[in-house]
Amino acid sequence: MKKTLLILIAFIFTISLTGCGGYEELNNLSIVTAVAFDKQDDNYELSFLIANSPKAQTSSKEGEAKTTVYSSQGKTIAEAAKTIEQIVPKQIYLGHINVVIISEDIAKEGFLNIADWLLRNPQTRKKFYLMQAKNEKAKNILKIVSPLESFPSQSIATLIESNSETKSIATSITYSNFISQILEPGYDPVLPSITIKGNVQKGSNEKNLETTEPDSYLVLGPLAIYKSDKLIGFASEKESWAINVLKNEAKEVNYNLKYQNEDISIETHSLKSSIKIKDSNNIEITISGQGDIYNITSPVDIQNYKEIHKIEKAWQKSLTKDLSKVIKKFQTKYHSDIFGFGNLIYKKDPKTWNKLKKDWNSKYFPNLNIKIKTNLKIEATGSLVKTIKEAKS
Amino acid sequence: MEKIDTNVKKVIDKIKKMYGNSPDVNSRIINISGTNVGCLFLESSSQASTISDFIIKGTLYTSSNKNLFQNIFEALKNNLFNSQLFTINDFSQFPYFLSSGFTIIIVDGSSEAIIMETRAALDRGVTESTSEPILRGPKDSFTESHSKNLGLIRKRIKDPNLWFDELKLGKRTQTRISLAYINGVADPKKLKTVKQRLQKINIDGILDSGNLREYLIEEKSVFPQIQSSERPDVVSQALLNGKIVIFVENCPFTLILPTVFIDYLHTSEDQYQKSSNITFTRILRIFALIITVFTPAIYIAITTFDQNTIPDKLLISLAIQREGVPFPTTFEIILLTTIFEILRESDLRSPSSMSAAMSIVGALVLGQAAVDAGIVSPITVIVVAFTSICSLVFTDIDFMNGIRTWRFIFILAASILGIIGILSFTIIWLVKLASLENLQTSFLSPFAPFSKQAQNDAIIKASEPNIITRPSYISKLNPHRQRRSK
Repeated sequence: MKKTLLILIAFIFTISLTGCGGYEELNNLSIVTAVAFDKQDDNYELSFLIANSPKAQTSSKEGEAKTTVYSSQGKTIAEAAKTIEQIVPKQIYLGHINVVIISEDIAKEGFLNIADWLLRNPQTRKKFYLMQAKNEKAKNILKIVSPLESFPSQSIATLIESNSETKSIATSITYSNFISQILEPGYDPVLPSITIKGNVQKGSNEKNLETTEPDSYLVLGPLAIYKSDKLIGFASEKESWAINVLKNEAKEVNYNLKYQNEDISIETHSLKSSIKIKDSNNIEITISGQGDIYNITSPVDIQNYKEIHKIEKAWQKSLTKDLSKVIKKFQTKYHSDIFGFGNLIYKKDPKTWNKLKKDWNSKYFPNLNIKIKTNLKIEATGSLVKTIKEAKS
Repeated sequence: MEKIDTNVKKVIDKIKKMYGNSPDVNSRIINISGTNVGCLFLESSSQASTISDFIIKGTLYTSSNKNLFQNIFEALKNNLFNSQLFTINDFSQFPYFLSSGFTIIIVDGSSEAIIMETRAALDRGVTESTSEPILRGPKDSFTESHSKNLGLIRKRIKDPNLWFDELKLGKRTQTRISLAYINGVADPKKLKTVKQRLQKINIDGILDSGNLREYLIEEKSVFPQIQSSERPDVVSQALLNGKIVIFVENCPFTLILPTVFIDYLHTSEDQYQKSSNITFTRILRIFALIITVFTPAIYIAITTFDQNTIPDKLLISLAIQREGVPFPTTFEIILLTTIFEILRESDLRSPSSMSAAMSIVGALVLGQAAVDAGIVSPITVIVVAFTSICSLVFTDIDFMNGIRTWRFIFILAASILGIIGILSFTIIWLVKLASLENLQTSFLSPFAPFSKQAQNDAIIKASEPNIITRPSYISKLNPHRQRRSK
């Protein structure tokens, strides 16, 4: 009897002290898969993309848009979120957010102003992608329907995932990653940007799904450059590419080499960069990797080992030039240490960093002496021995 | 003990009165030079032709032989043709023998009676097993005839150490119960306990081995702790492993003791197929067990409490499917599970000619119409169907019902507490299973308590030449089942 009672008491405590309550039926939830932050005058505008709107039930047959975007304004994000809850008839569920998009206004003002709400919410996963809207309201990006994916947030997420490794102008950054980069000493973050090509009105219409060539679609833009938590500008595509190579985020990239006034296209794989801190003023970056020749128009004898060697040399020289140009630009124009040189110094020698950190971005970072070393090899030349032009003549 | 009256007519009258003048009580009085010889039998349970051919004929033949007049009783005893012939002097045993189909011969002036076996064949022949079908292996099964059943075992195990201990149970039915075991292999302690438990039973009737089950266990549980089988090869294997088998007259199902949990995941076929493949099959059965117990509960828990655990696309598709369903998920699951259980029950009871019609109605109503009408969501149908299919992997009906009880417990736990509920009830379930014990054998043997020696035929089946010893939790006597060849 005593034993049963003890077991009962232990059981009651285990179930009442877990704090995991919250029974909620699935059809009473509004599943938010993407969030957009905008600024409207003095107010914040918060937009939710809700994926399970009832009209989705028939969507597979009729090609209707499956999602609904709700938005509302408030002095704070939390206030805006409360207002949305009054509009949406169901319980808002934030557990499955895929993508968060922030507008330029907000980014310029400082991201940390809005970071708190999503991070503090116990429902969210913190592993979703964060993106910068470019030239467009963040809310509009949520509206564009894509013919290939069932709902916009999914199409954005797959767009980043498929692009970040191969084309390498984008990079995938999760919310928690981004915030920790802001908080880390000697580090300025970058964000992938996204924009709309075409008309927003047409793109948000279900008719956009019916045409063979969509009226408007989402495009990944170049990287957004941040200084601390503030947006200071956008890099160009070529610069984005170089940033990703330097940050060791690009594995398979295509490099166009001008060789004897003709183009040689080199597809690199396993491209690696490693940054070595010599001292607080001298930094050495080593780029190593292999590449295959994909496209060649100049009459080069690629069967000749010496010739290949020459191409390698030219490639190394050209890449070094490209990368140094980008680094120089960040040192002189943006004063933004997105490569994390300061962070590496901090990790290596915290005492020196403490002396440097106050004037790092304005004084020490621009004057860093950065040396780029390359170790690149051409491994294969594809299935053709000669170029096609050569074969004809 | 009651003495037999020396007057034949009086005895016959007494018997007829005892049976309430039932028309199947037959008698024939033959007069042999002034001495009455009475034949008494029940028409319903004995073979009339045997009686005519061997007893009446024999008696008449004896009467024609004048040398034997001096002692008719002795003469009959020695001259009747029958393999089973013996004498008794206790009147109270008469009804047992009469009802069993024996013929009683009484002679005027003698206080003894001759008993002869003239049983009618009131059973079906040996047929294929229906409750435990297999693909590869012997196909015969036990019948309602006690002696046939014992014969099917004797045929397989020719060792004279195969012993049958018999006792009669049931005041009115006088059912023969045989305890079969191999002397020198079975644990005598366990045997003694089983016998004691059986002897304690004082009941009016035992009609099936199922009646005995609950007298033979120590602790209550929804899981059967005694395996029941109608296959002679399963029983023989159990006997060879040192188990004790109970045969009940008029019942094709035997009881096998002691039984552990893992026995329900084994089939007789496991012994006959390739052992490496059997290991895989057994792992599949364990998966099926886990699925059939937990799937509905986990479905409820993750869709109503922990939506975070579901992948994005699946969650949205689930949410859309549930759109418009008026009931909570738990109710939906319980509704469908109950419908399935009713369907199974009715399918079992109804004559086979109706089952086709029923399966059409069942499949249509359950699968299509209920979803179309928006009463249940398609995913619930999938979950319940999957669960039910997995529960059909097990052949023992009591085991299936035990699983069903726990499935419902888990469904309720999940609907109140989510994953935490499932977890805490899993612990309770395991504790309950581990605490079950019968005949000094823990129900979760050989896992708890762990026995390394018995692992070669628990989940993993070692190849036949490598299974040298019998599982030690059954019996420690004579542990080797084979010698390694050199």
